[in-house]
Amino acid sequence: MFACLSLAPAKRGLTPPRFLEGSNPFSLNARSTPEQALNDRSILEQIARDFSPRVELPSPDSVVLDISGLDRLIGEPHAIGCELQRAIRRADAAESAAVHIAIAPTRISARLIARAEPGLTIVARGNEASCLARLPAQALVDLGAPDDLLVTLDRWGVKSLGAFASLPSPALSARLGQDGVRWQRLARGEDPAPLVPSIPDERFETVFDLEWPVEGLEPLSFVLGRLLDPLCARLEVRDRAVAALTLQLREAVSREWHRRRLELPAPMRDVRVLRTLLCLDLEGHPLDGGIDRVGLFIEPTPGRVCQFSLLATPTLAPEQAATLMARLRALMGQDRCGVPELVDTHRPGAFSIGEFSPSSRPPTRALNSGPRSFFQRSPSLRRLRHPIPARVVLEDKRPVRVVTDRRGWNGGKVLWCAGPWRSSGDWWKPSAEPWNHEGWDVALSDGGLYRIHQDRLSQQWFVEAVVD
Amino acid sequence: MPVARSARLEDLETLLRARRLDRTLTSSFTGLEAGLAKAPVGLPDVDAQLRGGFPRGQMSEVVGSRSSGRTTIVHALLAAATARGELTALVDSLDTFDAPSAAAAHVDLQRLLWVRGPSIAHGPSSPGGQGLFHTATERAIKAFNLILQAGHFGVVVLDLADVPMAVVRRLPFTTWLRLQRVIEGGEPAGLLVAETSIGRSPRGLTLQVQRRHTDSTLGPQLAVASARLPRL
Repeated sequence: MFACLSLAPAKRGLTPPRFLEGSNPFSLNARSTPEQALNDRSILEQIARDFSPRVELPSPDSVVLDISGLDRLIGEPHAIGCELQRAIRRADAAESAAVHIAIAPTRISARLIARAEPGLTIVARGNEASCLARLPAQALVDLGAPDDLLVTLDRWGVKSLGAFASLPSPALSARLGQDGVRWQRLARGEDPAPLVPSIPDERFETVFDLEWPVEGLEPLSFVLGRLLDPLCARLEVRDRAVAALTLQLREAVSREWHRRRLELPAPMRDVRVLRTLLCLDLEGHPLDGGIDRVGLFIEPTPGRVCQFSLLATPTLAPEQAATLMARLRALMGQDRCGVPELVDTHRPGAFSIGEFSPSSRPPTRALNSGPRSFFQRSPSLRRLRHPIPARVVLEDKRPVRVVTDRRGWNGGKVLWCAGPWRSSGDWWKPSAEPWNHEGWDVALSDGGLYRIHQDRLSQQWFVEAVVD
Repeated sequence: MPVARSARLEDLETLLRARRLDRTLTSSFTGLEAGLAKAPVGLPDVDAQLRGGFPRGQMSEVVGSRSSGRTTIVHALLAAATARGELTALVDSLDTFDAPSAAAAHVDLQRLLWVRGPSIAHGPSSPGGQGLFHTATERAIKAFNLILQAGHFGVVVLDLADVPMAVVRRLPFTTWLRLQRVIEGGEPAGLLVAETSIGRSPRGLTLQVQRRHTDSTLGPQLAVASARLPRL
C-alpha cells in the first residue's frame, strides 16, 4: 500500500488542475509562491520520512511513501492515515487542512486521488480502478499527459478516466500507439515501475559551542580545523567536495552573528587549504570581540576528477592557486592581483583585472614572427598611473623642452620627437570620463624616452609613460 | 697536468657543496653553468650573450637606468615563457606594468599573474614618500616570496625599477639571501629588475642594459636601448 500526501491547489502556488477549474474555491490571492510550496513539500517529505524510509518525490507538490508493514505498528490503513494527519497538524496546524491524503494499493491511484479528493481517502485493494473511474480525464495532466492526448480524448467524447480505461487496448494502440496504451494503464491506476526511493540530500554542516570565548585567529584556526576534519572526511566518503563554504561566528558579548561566505574557484576538500582560506578571509574582515559559537555550512558538489597529461606542462592545482591568490589578496588588496585583460577601447593604458585560473591548455599565442632583433620590437612602456604634470615649450607646434616639478623627473631639452598622435573617446558616454589627447614620444636630454600628451580639454601637459 | 687540476677543482667544488658553502663559488668557474636549465629571452642577440637565457632555480637581474630597455627584456622573457605554455608572474612593486604594450610584445596575458603594488603619485622627497616606498617594496618582496613558494611558475619577475635605490639599500641583505634560498633548485627563473645590482644568486646572471646615445635620425621604436652583456 502507498500513501500520497499532496498539497491542495492553493498551497502549490501553481495553476489548479483544469478539472477543478469550474469549482475552484480558491482565489488567486490565496496562492502561495512556488518557493513556499517547495518549503511545504519539504515539510511533507520530512513527515513521510518519519513514517517510512521508502519515500518518492514524484512532483514538486506531492510525496509518496510506501506504508507496507506499518499495519503491524500502527494498524489499518485508516489508522495510518489518521496518524499522518496528526503528524501534519503537529507540523503545521494552520495549514494542515490544505494537505490531501490518499492511501491506495498503487502509487498512481494514490497520486490521482490525493490530487482530486480533499482530506483523507482510503482505497481498498482491488477498488482502485473503480475509484479512479469517476475522475475526469483531465486528471492525467498531473501525471504529465501531453495536450494532444487530452484533446484527442475530448474529441472522442472520453470525459472520465473510467471511460478511457474501458477502451479496447488493441484499437487504442492502433490509433495512439504504445503511448496511448501506457496512458490507459495509468488511467487504470497501474504503476508503470516500482517505487524508487529518493535519497535525502546529505547536509554537511556543524555548529560548535565554545566553553569560553576565543579571540584572535590562531586559536580560532584550531577550532576551524577541528570542525573541518570530520566534515571533509564525510565529503571524501561521499565523493563530494566543497563548492562554497559559509562560516558563522557569534560574538560573545553582542550575540551578533558574523557571516562569511567563500565561493571556491574549484571543488576542493583539503582541510588545510580550507582552513587557510577561512583564516585569510577573516584576516581581511576581523572581528571586534571574542567568539563563543562557530558554525560551518558546506555546499557540496561532486568531487573533481583530475587526469594529468604527460604532454602538458604541469600547472598549479586549483587548491594551490586559491591559497596563493588568497594570500596575495590579503597582502596586497582585493583588487591588486589577477590576470591583466585588455579592454575594448583606445584609451591609453586601459586594462582590467581578471581571475587568475591556471589551466593546462596549450598556449594560444606563439612567437610566430621568428627570431627578432632587440630593435625590431614595439616599444615597451612603463605606465604612470598618476600622470606627472609637465611644462612643455613648443616651437613650430613641436615640443622643444619638457620639464616637471617632480624630483627625479627633471626633464630637459627635446633631442627628437615623434608625433603628434591624437586620440579621443568616451565623449558619447554621459557616465564615463571622456579623453581628448595629443600625444608625443620625446627623447630628452636627461637620457629618458617619454610618452607625453596634452589634454586638449584643459590644455595641460602630462608625462604618461616611460619607454623602456 | 690539466686533468689533475680539473680533478682538484671538482674535489674542491664537491667539498664546498657538501658543506653548503657553494654560494662562495663564483661564475668564473664556467663549468658551473653546465646542467643549469635556462629560460630563453627569445631575443637572439640577448640569448647569445646570456648563453641560452636566464638560469632556472636562480635569481638573476636586469639592471639599468630609465629607458635603458629593462622592460623590453622583461616583456620578451614573459612572452617566450608564455609561448612555451609556462605560467609566469610579475610582481609590479609600483604598478607601472602596461598591459597593452605587453600584449603587443606577444605576452599571453592569460598565463601572467600580475601582482600590483600601490600607485604612488608623489615623489620620494614628499612627506611620507620614503615610508610609502619602503612599505610597497616590502610587500612586493613578500608577494614575490609567496609566488616562489607556490611553485609551478616558469618565470617570476620582481620589478623594483622605479623604487629609489636608497629604499632598496635599506633592506637587510638577508632579504636577498632568503629569496635565493627559496628559489634555489626550483623550476622558476627569478628575475629582479632594478637600477643597479642588488641581490642575484651566485649562479644567477646580471644583465646590465645601457642606453644607446640617441640619434636624431632614429624613430622612437628604434631608440629603445642597447644591451651590454653579460657581466658574469
